[in-house]
Amino acid sequence: MSRLHYIRPETLAEALDHLDRHGSRNRILAGGTDLVVDLRNGDARPEFILDVSRLHELKGIDVTPEGVSVGAGVTLSEIQSSDVLERHAPALRKCSFTFASRQVRNVATIGGNVAHCSPCGDTVPPLVIHEARAVLASRRGLREVLVEDIASGPYACSLPPDELILRFILKPAADVTFADFQKIGRRRELVIARINAAAMARQEPDGRLSFFRFSLGSCTPTPHRMPEVESCLDGRVPTAELVWEAGRLLAERTIAITGRRPSTIYKEAAIHGLLVRMLHPLVTS
Amino acid sequence: MTGAHQAIGKSIERVGAREKVTGRARYSADIELGAPLVLKALRSGRPHAEILAINTEKALRIKGVAAVFTAMDIPGKNLTGIILKDQPILMGDKVRSIADPVALVAAETETTAEQALKAIEVDYRDLPPVFDPEKAMAEDAPKVHAKGNVMVSRTIRRGDVGSAFTRCKSIIEKTYRTTFIEHNTIEPDAGAGFVDSDGTLVIYASTQNPHYDHKDVVTLLGLADEKVRIIQAATGGGFGSKLDLNVQGFIGLALYHLRRPVRYVYTREEAYLGTAKRHPLSMRMKTGADENGRLLAMQATIICDTGAYASYGPAVANRAPVHATGPYAIENVDIRSYGVYTNNPFCGAMRGFGTPQIAFAHESQIDLHALDLGLDPLAMRMLNAHRVGSTTATGQVFSASVGIGDCLRAIQPHYDEARKGWTAAPAAPYKKRGVGIGAMWYGIGNTGVQNPSTARVEMDRDGSVTLFTGCADIGQGSSTVLSQIAAEILGLAPQAVRLVTADTKFTTNAGATSASRQTYISGNAVKQAAEQLADVLKTEAMNKLRVAKSALMFDGGCALVIGQPDQCVSFAELAKRIKSKGASLSWQGYFDPETVPLDPQTGQGVPYATYAFAAQLALVTVDVLTGEVAVERVVAAHDVGKAIHPESVIGQICGGVAMGLGFALMEEFEPGKTLSMKDYHIPTCADMPEVVPIIVESPEPSGPFGAKGVGEPALIPTAPAILNAIADALGVRLYALPANLERVLAASIAAGHFKPAP
Amino acid sequence: MDASSVRIRFTLNGQPRSAEFPADTTALKLIRDVLKLKGTKEGCGIGECGACTVIVDGKAVNSCLMLAAQLDGRTVQTIEGLGSPEALHPLQEAFVKEHAVQCGFCTPGLLMSTKALLDINPAPTRAEISKAIAGNLCRCTGYRHIFASIEDAAHTRKEQT
Repeated sequence: MSRLHYIRPETLAEALDHLDRHGSRNRILAGGTDLVVDLRNGDARPEFILDVSRLHELKGIDVTPEGVSVGAGVTLSEIQSSDVLERHAPALRKCSFTFASRQVRNVATIGGNVAHCSPCGDTVPPLVIHEARAVLASRRGLREVLVEDIASGPYACSLPPDELILRFILKPAADVTFADFQKIGRRRELVIARINAAAMARQEPDGRLSFFRFSLGSCTPTPHRMPEVESCLDGRVPTAELVWEAGRLLAERTIAITGRRPSTIYKEAAIHGLLVRMLHPLVTS
Repeated sequence: MTGAHQAIGKSIERVGAREKVTGRARYSADIELGAPLVLKALRSGRPHAEILAINTEKALRIKGVAAVFTAMDIPGKNLTGIILKDQPILMGDKVRSIADPVALVAAETETTAEQALKAIEVDYRDLPPVFDPEKAMAEDAPKVHAKGNVMVSRTIRRGDVGSAFTRCKSIIEKTYRTTFIEHNTIEPDAGAGFVDSDGTLVIYASTQNPHYDHKDVVTLLGLADEKVRIIQAATGGGFGSKLDLNVQGFIGLALYHLRRPVRYVYTREEAYLGTAKRHPLSMRMKTGADENGRLLAMQATIICDTGAYASYGPAVANRAPVHATGPYAIENVDIRSYGVYTNNPFCGAMRGFGTPQIAFAHESQIDLHALDLGLDPLAMRMLNAHRVGSTTATGQVFSASVGIGDCLRAIQPHYDEARKGWTAAPAAPYKKRGVGIGAMWYGIGNTGVQNPSTARVEMDRDGSVTLFTGCADIGQGSSTVLSQIAAEILGLAPQAVRLVTADTKFTTNAGATSASRQTYISGNAVKQAAEQLADVLKTEAMNKLRVAKSALMFDGGCALVIGQPDQCVSFAELAKRIKSKGASLSWQGYFDPETVPLDPQTGQGVPYATYAFAAQLALVTVDVLTGEVAVERVVAAHDVGKAIHPESVIGQICGGVAMGLGFALMEEFEPGKTLSMKDYHIPTCADMPEVVPIIVESPEPSGPFGAKGVGEPALIPTAPAILNAIADALGVRLYALPANLERVLAASIAAGHFKPAP
Repeated sequence: MDASSVRIRFTLNGQPRSAEFPADTTALKLIRDVLKLKGTKEGCGIGECGACTVIVDGKAVNSCLMLAAQLDGRTVQTIEGLGSPEALHPLQEAFVKEHAVQCGFCTPGLLMSTKALLDINPAPTRAEISKAIAGNLCRCTGYRHIFASIEDAAHTRKEQT
């Protein structure tokens, strides 16, 4: 049996060198809140753990010309206290409030949450509505990929093992009048989402939605934007009936992806209900 | 009365609190015994199978493995269980559940122990399993135990149910179901042990009943009583699950063979897998009421799934039918209850012994009658509530301390206000509000069987007092309460009473910390011991001070003449004088509540000497679109007889409401699927409503200073109140617990609430 | 799992410390088994109960979810650094006074979560307290006396300053 080594690189270059050589036998530790559980349960048996938590390249929340940049090593607590995100990505900030527990939020990172590829990852739907791209680094250079495309299935990450997520670039929520993140779980805190969802919209004075984005998590193998639901509402006045119809459509589209399973009995109605509840503040009679 | 007490009714600092807040309290996993061997059990992983062979050779060859034990290595009787001895600690011939241990490894490290488990080869021949207790009752069902799958049954019959139903205007017949529940004490089970210089096996354990542990370990190992000593370490909660022999037998076995320190600390996963659960009950209940709402008859069939072993299952199967009427006088009853073996995880004691389950049924029934008859649910409860002079289903006539009426009256103003203010006010869109009541009674102590407690109070020559009690304080506060009782009798500050607790070398049997019995039963034993010592002291003081005993009192470690405090003599002096005469300064107390065993055919008898009562009110908001339920407020009125330590009573009430809320809404243990705390949800602080505790004191003449008990009662009315509130909110009722997202949303849809807001 | 050893330096309860352990050692294991500080408890091993909460660089964390190696250069506080039975920290005083301790197994973790909160927010609202301790499960108390203790400690602190 090979020995486990803990590596904490001083520089990004060192980290990328390590990944280049040992990527396939390595697991990246950003906060560690998922990885340490996987190690305990024997679900992860790497030879190397690369602790990237102290690389400054992975830190910081900034507004850049490309968009809002959130470092992959930013913790959920940092997201929670970010004024920049409150202004430019309020749904992302909101998801941090109900993310696991304070103890976990203090350590867990957005990069780790995305790369873990849990279908229930709370940061993913808010990132997806911002059409967020992950900036990836390796010895081969930099490239970008849509967050929506990172997971190839539940807990299956499509990124090659020599790449490291540096940061996420979010399209800022320009002139958005509404943004929300909601989740349904079995209790109020310390909860794994049964369903989670993020939405943002711009509502004109006449009630019409001139912009609408929506993403659903926990229900499909990977969290997705729901284009049919978006186009159902985009450009229209969200009456109670229309929102109800959008909810029904969301449930229908979700089942089209997953097929019917035992959990569908609940989820079909609850997905529908969650969208209706979430968009209720937009309803214009 | 209260004013006359100096220790009783005071919320003094709790015994052990300082050690706990500083992290100094030593729980079983914290005990350092040199370099102990690590123990780990190999569990079957299959529900029902014959064991053909166990080969431990490969495991024994691993470096660092000290031993691997199987059933063959047990020197005494390999059967444990507090009521029925049917559970081997290591299985020899067959396994009956996925958790059944077949081998025990002792190794230098955790990792080595894990490796050894994987290297043990067991040949099984799978047998058909049975998981449904109703199916298990069939003649041709696979037999979990050779004697048959019906472990126990109980009938309670009184009056004439058949003719009573003909006189009823409202008849309701429904079936209620509950699920497996995990105790989820925050401390997983653990223990450690070593062999003392005189050859005694010393076992520290997280336990609710060290004296039972002692008996079963001694029997298991075929040792003399004095060769085993059980010491209760600080115990991180119990709620019934630490009444069974969990790690104690394994530690004893390893000590017996290896004679070197060992420890066994369950991971959370092993605690989930290997320890008892709350019994799922199926309860078919038919009740009838006349046009005024008076309950006339009840017919019920109760099936308790005890899983693979009895544990406390017989107590559940007995207590549930006795409590089936709820705190109401019903003249005609015909109740049958069965405890049934299946290949599920074994079920045992959990806070309430079947009463939380049966309360869900009787409290739903009474609301259904009220709705049917157009009566107010609280008024209907009031009408039927037991009172002094009324007769229970077992024929017991109450002579005192029936506080249910007082509890219902205590919640009445809150109920009226909720009906006016809360439910009448418009809720947010897609939300429905509801109000519900749950009431309960709970017999203190074991059902119709002897369950005595003993205690010893000793005075040293210096006049200091030590209380020796076998009672295990698992966090509920018995050490504090018992020291208050001794202190009250002896006129001391409770802190001045030294405590020696739950160590079988020094204490005598106080029975289990279960059935809400320690304050009432051990409290009486302590009181009696202290009174005997007090009497000796007063006799001596009488001689010294030359006044009648009745003119004497104790204060601050002295006996003094009432009204003439300068006429006094210190305990130290009295102790010396008594000792010099050869009289005893060590007094043993004994108390066994007066009960009459239940008749095997009719269930008539006096199952308990006294009962606690309670009524709770719950206010809920239901999200009709998602099935989420928020419990906003719970008003909890509890008749405890007398609150010896009021803040501890409130602590029990609030903790009970939390556990009841979990039982009502979110807790559900699925065997084979619920593996870790990711899969099982207990309430967080954010799930808790505002709780308004109300202590009702309807004194029990046979109780210490009037006290009864509160530990289990605290939990029992909560789930019924919440479920009744959900039914009130939705207009549709749930008949299965928990009222999880799925069930509540289905009910909302069935009620027609799942539609666009107007 | 065989693991190469890691050596770290850190500050523990105000004292500089160094420690060496296998790479897969969690912070909880380091604290309990290597450093023999038994006040920090293991309740679930996967970050779902909060019994193992300690403070790292001023923040409450689950020590079961952290590798010990991550503590290198950090400042760590455990329950042992708070107060002693003879000289309780005001927060411990409040937990004793308000009867917030029943079985006590969740207590050290709760105290650490609370201390981290009060250090940055001396007068928290009830909602802020709830957010800070929702990751600390208690099965005994129903949380009422815990809230009361924290409010009492915050109040006392306010009066003293």
